[in-house]
Amino acid sequence: MTKVFVSAVIDAPIEKVWGKMRDFNGLPDWHPRFSRSHIEDGLRSDTIGCVRNFDITGGAGTIRERLLELSDHEYTMTYCILEAPLPVADYVATLKLYPITVSNQTLGTWTAEFRVIKGSESDVVDAVGNGTFGKAFEVMNQLLAKQK
Amino acid sequence: MAKVYRSAVIDAPIGAVWALVRDFNALPKWHPAIATSEIEHGLRSDAVGCVRRFTRKSDGGLLREQLLTLSDRDYTITYNILVSPMPVANYEATMQFIPITHGDRTLAQWWAQFDVTQGPEQDTTTDIGDNVFVVGFAALNARLAGRSGGSK
Repeated sequence: MTKVFVSAVIDAPIEKVWGKMRDFNGLPDWHPRFSRSHIEDGLRSDTIGCVRNFDITGGAGTIRERLLELSDHEYTMTYCILEAPLPVADYVATLKLYPITVSNQTLGTWTAEFRVIKGSESDVVDAVGNGTFGKAFEVMNQLLAKQK
Repeated sequence: MAKVYRSAVIDAPIGAVWALVRDFNALPKWHPAIATSEIEHGLRSDAVGCVRRFTRKSDGGLLREQLLTLSDRDYTITYNILVSPMPVANYEATMQFIPITHGDRTLAQWWAQFDVTQGPEQDTTTDIGDNVFVVGFAALNARLAGRSGGSK
């Protein structure tokens, strides 16, 4: 089992960050690595069990992920991959935010566990950890720090 | 039941922060409000169930607190108050630390739940949150900042 953990400070209050990130269908609205998304079967994006179907920017394929857990109380979202152009199996990831009370900022943490079934483990870890999670926090910080 | 939660970034890697704070007997080493501390019955300070007996600098007030959870895996310490000069009952608190991979820093969190037995609840929650927890974070940061493994 491979585990990836990435965390970063976002210079905005937790309600603003969560407001953007809690929408399971909203990834392409702010993450440059992804485009086009819809929730299958006409479900709402906060329905546990719903499936998001979205594209990697530049025609690199489609990803389907199922929402397993969403908590406005714990600022947590957990989901698993159903289909992806990535050599992984049993992929489960959790996004969790923490308030930083003394500075009114947010710590974003993102954890994924999976098995690499083909090719180099470090390439997959880099794509997930830096390309997806690290990039997400970087973009979120750029987006929200300005309007603080 | 009153609740208080505070959190702050400590500008040091989690290994350095945890090495200092996991010692249940180390409050006088890093918290400016605490004068002396000892573990009762000669137990080790990482023996879950041990009791620390310590005094405040301001008034010499005595506190006894019992270690309920210590986790090197989750960087977590949970304890409750047995004796305290503060107007609280059923007091249980947790410190938990989270690594910040971007910048090799640490998020420190400290929270508590308790009943206030005298005076306005808000006064006690603010006192604990700001004068115990936040003051503790500032002292940790002042002591450890810059001890990062190169990246800041």
